[in-house]
Amino acid sequence: MSNAGSDLAARLMGDMDPELLDFLKTKVNSFIKWDLVRFFYENPNSTDTAENVARYVGRDASAIEAELGELVGTGVLERHRVGDLTVYSLASDTNMRKLVDQFILACDDRQFRVKAIYHIIRGMR
Amino acid sequence: MNERMKTGITGLDEMLGGGFLPETANLVEGAPGTGKSTLGMQFIANGILHYNQPGLILTFEEFPQQYYRDAEAFGWPFRDLEKADKLRVIMTSPEVSQADLEHVGGRIESLVREIGARRILVDSLSHFERVASSPIELRTAVFGFVNALKREGLTTLLTRESAALIGEGDLGEEDVAFLMDSFVMLRYVEIDSAVRKAVLVLKVRGSDHAKDIRQFEITTTGIEVRSKFEGREGILSGSPHRMAESFVEAFVRR
Repeated sequence: MSNAGSDLAARLMGDMDPELLDFLKTKVNSFIKWDLVRFFYENPNSTDTAENVARYVGRDASAIEAELGELVGTGVLERHRVGDLTVYSLASDTNMRKLVDQFILACDDRQFRVKAIYHIIRGMR
Repeated sequence: MNERMKTGITGLDEMLGGGFLPETANLVEGAPGTGKSTLGMQFIANGILHYNQPGLILTFEEFPQQYYRDAEAFGWPFRDLEKADKLRVIMTSPEVSQADLEHVGGRIESLVREIGARRILVDSLSHFERVASSPIELRTAVFGFVNALKREGLTTLLTRESAALIGEGDLGEEDVAFLMDSFVMLRYVEIDSAVRKAVLVLKVRGSDHAKDIRQFEITTTGIEVRSKFEGREGILSGSPHRMAESFVEAFVRR
């Protein structure tokens, strides 16, 4: 990335809440994860299989399985076995739930969204 | 005598002989738009707001936001009730909820304990057809499911969509309606070129109930059951006629 590009990134991220910036960098670092986090924010009591979650968020099951696993790894979601089924739900940890709430509410602000999108695209390169 | 779980719906409790019996499974069936989900939401909302009985909504179809919006339109503050730990709206699938209820300490059991739930709306039972390959398998699955909810001490209202928009639907020998403790039917009827709605309590196991077919309306505050259809017959066919006409048809025009 050029110096000009790095400067722009630094300026865009500079005034972002450090906690949310970290959340973006380490947890919601793809658009699929963003969709999944939004889904579980809107459905905090949902517990379902990867196939069904994929159907709800309008994505392919094969595409979201790994992303769900990574969200489990970073503590955003929890994975359980129910009989023969593997199901996912939002983490029960209060602090993580607060962080998810904070992130989704921050997304109501267009400026924040633009910065978050920029950050994700940058991370995908 | 057992205390009844009142729906709080004007006219319906009287039809049910006072309300649903506690810890029973109760089926409400009707065509799309007849008001099944509204009736279910009203059962849950009134339980919380008027009888201090927290409730769960288990949805296989709509996202929770849809319930919040619909409930808001009737003046039932579902979002606030969730915040106050009186309500939980759970979106899941029949196969997961069925497996969940078979295990001690499952998600539904935890939520029942967490808010002290006494009522549950399952919307809708029609989705169980997806997990069963035959009517017998469906009946077994539903039997296990409703028994698990009873075990949790819940009074359950299950909705089911009927195929017929107007008129009667068929109940096969393996129909899950036979597993239910009560069966309420909602129907569209055509009278004088206008579509009206009718409610009939087909059965309440172990209790007397109204046998007549009554009109109901969905008002700004929910469902209100009104008077019965006077002087008409053939209501369940969807196109009732005046009794005098049928009398003439049967006895005079021969």
